[in-house]
Amino acid sequence: MAHSAETIIEADDLVKHFSGASLVRSAAVVRAVDGVSLSVRRGETFAIVGEAGCGKSTLARLLVRLIDPTSGRIVYDGADLTGLSNREMHRLRAKVQFVFQDPFSSLNPRMTVGKLVEEPLLIHTKLSRAGRRQRVASLLVRVGLRADYAKRYPHEFSGGQRQRIGIARALASEPDLLIGDEPVSALDVSVQAQIINLVEDLKDEFGLTLIIIAHDLAVIRHMSDRVAVMYLGKIVELAGVDELFERPQHPYTQALLQAIPVPAPGANVEHVPLAGDIPSPVAPPSGCRFHTRCPYAVERCSESEPPLAAESGHLVACHRAAELSLEGVSVGGASNRSPAATRRFELYRKFSRQAGAITD
Amino acid sequence: MQEPSLPETAGAVEPVLQVRGLSVRFAGQPVDTVDGVSFSIAPGRTLCLVGESGCGKSVTSLATMGLLPAKVAKITGGEALFEGRDTLTLSRHEIETVRGNRMAMIFQEPMTSLNPVFKVGAQVAEAVIRHRKVSRLEARERALEMFRKVRIPAPERRLDDYPHQLSGGMRQRVMIAMALANDPKLLIADEPTTALDVTIQAQILELMRELQRETGTAMLLITHDLGVVAEIADDVAVMYGGRIVETGPVERIFNDPQHPYTIGLMSSMPSLDARSGRLATISGSVPPPSEMPAGCRFATRCPFVEERCRVEVPPLEFDGFGHGRACLRAPLEDNFGIKGA
Repeated sequence: MAHSAETIIEADDLVKHFSGASLVRSAAVVRAVDGVSLSVRRGETFAIVGEAGCGKSTLARLLVRLIDPTSGRIVYDGADLTGLSNREMHRLRAKVQFVFQDPFSSLNPRMTVGKLVEEPLLIHTKLSRAGRRQRVASLLVRVGLRADYAKRYPHEFSGGQRQRIGIARALASEPDLLIGDEPVSALDVSVQAQIINLVEDLKDEFGLTLIIIAHDLAVIRHMSDRVAVMYLGKIVELAGVDELFERPQHPYTQALLQAIPVPAPGANVEHVPLAGDIPSPVAPPSGCRFHTRCPYAVERCSESEPPLAAESGHLVACHRAAELSLEGVSVGGASNRSPAATRRFELYRKFSRQAGAITD
Repeated sequence: MQEPSLPETAGAVEPVLQVRGLSVRFAGQPVDTVDGVSFSIAPGRTLCLVGESGCGKSVTSLATMGLLPAKVAKITGGEALFEGRDTLTLSRHEIETVRGNRMAMIFQEPMTSLNPVFKVGAQVAEAVIRHRKVSRLEARERALEMFRKVRIPAPERRLDDYPHQLSGGMRQRVMIAMALANDPKLLIADEPTTALDVTIQAQILELMRELQRETGTAMLLITHDLGVVAEIADDVAVMYGGRIVETGPVERIFNDPQHPYTIGLMSSMPSLDARSGRLATISGSVPPPSEMPAGCRFATRCPFVEERCRVEVPPLEFDGFGHGRACLRAPLEDNFGIKGA
């Protein structure tokens, strides 16, 4: 993958193996990320999707070097992160920030909100005390909180408000790249919508690049430009969001799309769910790692591993991609809403705006 | 056995569970956390209680099962009739003969509901022995039969596994096997698929649907996920702030939503369809009990609110199709000058 000015971060054949050796267990190597290459363009929202144990969170942590890769390279803005000194890495951390899933455990309960948001300013800027205080106030207001919340502690806030605090903290060092590991999945639907809207506004306002790790495909469809689907430590498909949802080429992607319960009665019943469990990343299946659950598997699939190959920007790792015609989300299908429901949704939007409700 | 497809409105069928006016208050709280909740479930039907965190859906189900700790939660009103008896007033001993027997339950996290130091087969057998006069061997046979029924692969071997040796999906299958082992009339499932991956969730939902067709067990399913509701519910009750704000057959709830909360909830979900622009939201968050409005509890967040909403409790009013809503502003189109169909 050639580096271009358009690329903000790229990963080249990243591998992360965890050794499971402990006092009571002998070493078993968990192949959490097993040869992942991708490149993220400046200004886009790039989503990484997959089920538990697919390695998506490990990949996110590798990208910002919260953990070190077993092998492979990460290039951020032209600089190879794997070769950087701690000092250089420190400077770079201001530019790459992380928003975690659980706003309850990712904020230090003994620090006030003001201190939490101020901390990155202390580390990464030379602002005066007054300057920092002013900046904290404006950040809190920007994420939809009140400036005087700075004196309070995290436990005084709801989940949605805590995620806003986490976002304010992430924005404090003026990052270029924001990585969210399931940033909205712990939130209730109505609050989730508020946070999604907020993140999208902030992205435009601050010219951010977003990498979103998620398992909720509807959230991904809504937020992202390109999507990588992971299964057992590998990317199995990578494409533009519409392309991936409407014309998936990997059987696993199709299965994921079909497994989502659609909020319209009778919409989803005829699909046969994928059989079996996700195999353990300690001993991934031979050949294509999905072959044990794939309804289209043939002998070759268990023997040789399909490479992630491109056809007009749509990358897929499947021996049979060319011959299968898989089913995507039928556009208009999920929202074959009744006229009454449609009218009322519109009415709701209209009155929400008029009520001057906080819509972000 | 009852014909499972009988609609609730048929009237001739005796409901398996009938909850009337259930109210629960937690110690030190100024208002009831669950406030006058009523619903009923007919044999073979599935009722989904849906709502967001703190809406009272789990408290409602725990109260029905007699699982609320009496020290902190007080039943302040209502009844829950199950097989002719009010489960809210049964003694501890009496309710224990019902629970896990005629009325069974499964929870969100099977790992915490299974005992980690006993083999899963023995735990299912134990549930059978607890309520039936059977030998250990017969109970184990029943466990094996149930493992087959919930389609656990290599069931004979799995009987002797410990919970940690099973995946999340398999553990939930064990829980379902245990719950159904005594042929209950009612299964209460609290977020049974929330902790599972989406492909595993699809398997479990499919399994629950099939088993219900087979056994005719009535089901009360608690969930926050409208997608799950659409897949599995016959009837829906939407809860907000401890009250049912809208209820009815599933098609009517989705195709003809009446309550502003239901509408807000549905329109704030991102769609799998093409990008729909900015998401609609429900502003603010659920007020704490001390700030609960005296009238409609959704009044603080409702875009259609008017003065009387804040003081008058809206009654749950039904149309002729078993569709009820508790909103002073409904029907919205009539009240807001939009020409309807």
